[in-house]
Amino acid sequence: MKSYVYEDLEIGHQFPILDKGRISTSHIMRWSAAVENWHRIHYDYRFATEHDKLPDVLINGSWKQHILIQLAKDSLGPTSWLWKMKFKYKKMDVAGDSLHGIATILDKQQTSEFGFITLGLQLVNQNKETSTEGWSISAIPFKGGVLVAYPFVDKQEYSLLRTPISE
Amino acid sequence: MTKEKFDEADCKKYIGIKGESKVAHMPLEKDSLRRFVQAIMDTDPLYFDEEYAKSTFFGNIVATPLYPVHAFRTPADGSDRLNALQTDPDLDGTDSMSGAYSSLPKIESPFKRLLNGGNEITFYRALEIGEVCVSTPKYKNVELKNGKSGPMLLVTIETEYKTQSDKLLLINTQTLIWR
Repeated sequence: MKSYVYEDLEIGHQFPILDKGRISTSHIMRWSAAVENWHRIHYDYRFATEHDKLPDVLINGSWKQHILIQLAKDSLGPTSWLWKMKFKYKKMDVAGDSLHGIATILDKQQTSEFGFITLGLQLVNQNKETSTEGWSISAIPFKGGVLVAYPFVDKQEYSLLRTPISE
Repeated sequence: MTKEKFDEADCKKYIGIKGESKVAHMPLEKDSLRRFVQAIMDTDPLYFDEEYAKSTFFGNIVATPLYPVHAFRTPADGSDRLNALQTDPDLDGTDSMSGAYSSLPKIESPFKRLLNGGNEITFYRALEIGEVCVSTPKYKNVELKNGKSGPMLLVTIETEYKTQSDKLLLINTQTLIWR
């Protein structure tokens, strides 16, 4: 996993795709069991299609959010801190879909100690349809600057940072 | 009991209600974390390699950023949520008030189907092995809307996650859509 400093990054840059491949019912079941999510639309085909009139069992939204988080975290590397994130589900993903994440730099901002990088995040299926999208803001060190503080503490100046929603 | 009608006045009754803090019945364990990261297919050594973790600003193995949301499992001596399915085959298996939200009063409405409408999250710290997660939820907003497929109820829950020693982990604002 590559580490970056603020100066390395330019608006518009797209990071390597995070490819999760084809998500089978077994993958969905593994996630549902790991988090004890017993919602039947994720593992009971008859219930999903006949009772809830869905096209198939669904890939969990809660699983997809972790993929976007991994995408944001890994794109900027271990010296960054994923500070804020917002995402929305636009479309269902069903068993058998192949999913990959795309992260693109939307904005760069500076505060007195660190830089902040805004990423646009998308989860896309094999038909190039975006099912989940959002944005994240991560703190990242300047070249030769101090490391990002951990645990992260909000400061007044961070409240002035732009978000994609506020523009 | 399910309410047959639900209007704006019903929505307002819930807005601002804060639930009691809930304490996860178990601390974060390496094996729970292993299962979790395998399920999201995240091979970051931060989640299992102690030597690597020491080289990062975390200093220890930590959970994934949003793990605390899933830290509230059913204890061995807790009631079995699947029991209800044995007597009512139409139940969908969800318990919207389970987990981190269980201390909020259940919204009694005619809406039956639940969808996740999205989240906004601010992260401050990661949960470490051996730490216990504590959540405190509140109804930030409850409103009725008309969607393409008919009326729906949008419920926004803001939940603060801390460790048992009061270290802030994250704040998660989740929108639930009931149809």
